[in-house]
Amino acid sequence: MNKYIYLLLLLSLTLASSLSAQDKLEKESRIKPEEVPAQAMAFIDSLHLPAKVKWYREEGLEHTTIEAKYTYKKTRYSIEFALEGAIEDAEMELKWEAMAPAVQKAIKAQLEQDCDKHSIVKVQEQFTGSRQDLHSLLKTGTIAQGLNIKFEVVAKCKRQKDVNLYEYLFDDKGQVLAKSVIVFKNSSHLEY
Amino acid sequence: MNTKLRYLVGIFCLLLLHHGLYAQSTYELGALPSLNFNKKLQNDWSVNAKLESRQVFQEGELSGMRTQAYDYLLTDMAFVAAKTVGLNSRIGGGYMLRVEEGEIYHRFIQQFIIVQKANGFRLAHRFLSDQTLSEAEQPEFRLRYRLSSEIPLNGESVDPREFYLKINNEYLNSLQAGSYDLEIRLVPLLGYDITEKYKIETGLDYRISSFLSQSTEHSYWWALNFFIEI
Repeated sequence: MNKYIYLLLLLSLTLASSLSAQDKLEKESRIKPEEVPAQAMAFIDSLHLPAKVKWYREEGLEHTTIEAKYTYKKTRYSIEFALEGAIEDAEMELKWEAMAPAVQKAIKAQLEQDCDKHSIVKVQEQFTGSRQDLHSLLKTGTIAQGLNIKFEVVAKCKRQKDVNLYEYLFDDKGQVLAKSVIVFKNSSHLEY
Repeated sequence: MNTKLRYLVGIFCLLLLHHGLYAQSTYELGALPSLNFNKKLQNDWSVNAKLESRQVFQEGELSGMRTQAYDYLLTDMAFVAAKTVGLNSRIGGGYMLRVEEGEIYHRFIQQFIIVQKANGFRLAHRFLSDQTLSEAEQPEFRLRYRLSSEIPLNGESVDPREFYLKINNEYLNSLQAGSYDLEIRLVPLLGYDITEKYKIETGLDYRISSFLSQSTEHSYWWALNFFIEI
């Protein structure tokens, strides 16, 4: 029942927003390794990571996933699994300067079209593909032909008087696939 | 970050404890329950109404003398209106009415708040000035800075039905009748997000003041805060 109230609240927030983009709302909870599907745990174990892995359950409006997060060589990784444990994608933080100039240019053009002023807050490279290809990517850094690459860009965007934080999804050429407003959680208990 | 924060809080407590043992110090023990109502309005405005009371259960000198009598000290009623002026900052102003031992105090408040989201925690910086007027005392002018941190105990952000740790550290510069004082507050709280609209927090509200004049006052309040979004 509470879940429906929560969803209703999210829906009302979405409707209340005057922005054309879809709002981004997710509930992320830490879970214990014992609660992780065996298939997902086996995948992470096989990487023999020297880093500590934290596990989360992420509930979105449309579906729920299991996420493994870790930091290796100062790069943050996030590996997403379906509830039964099949790997869905791997994300890693990327420096803006490290992106291919052609992709940078296309993303910049999109942001300049959408915003009067903008600044890039975070870039993540998202890989989808076969279990084998994703395993090789995470284990050795090899980008196999079969991998599909997308870029998740969080940008602060000022348009007229409004300032918002947006999460964009671009394809490997820098063409926009999706855009959502990041909704800030209530902070009145930190302010008063 | 959590480990660093623990160290900082530990060092701060040790410093305070050290000072408390070797100076001429008085203390108060009591309760500080509060009820907060917040309402979002159109055009990035929001309002906050707060009701808070202060009750003492025990007071005395740290060196030995103590009285153990319940005393209802005061009631505060505050109203602040604020407007979002950036992605994560808010400017506001308000008024607080204090009723303390039959006297009325009027406090005018101006504040600027920035909330930052980092990986795994949130920080809020509050810059506040206030002016307190009453017939009982000389006007008091204060400049305050508070750093609040919210650390989720489950996941990377606080969601409904999850606990969080909140730590406030505030520095209050006060000028009254030509006399300057610095008060420092350290408030570690355990919070619970009941739903998107209701939060409850409890913990210690520790305050140290008058240590510049060698007559240190320590206050230990049991804090119980309710936050309600309407």
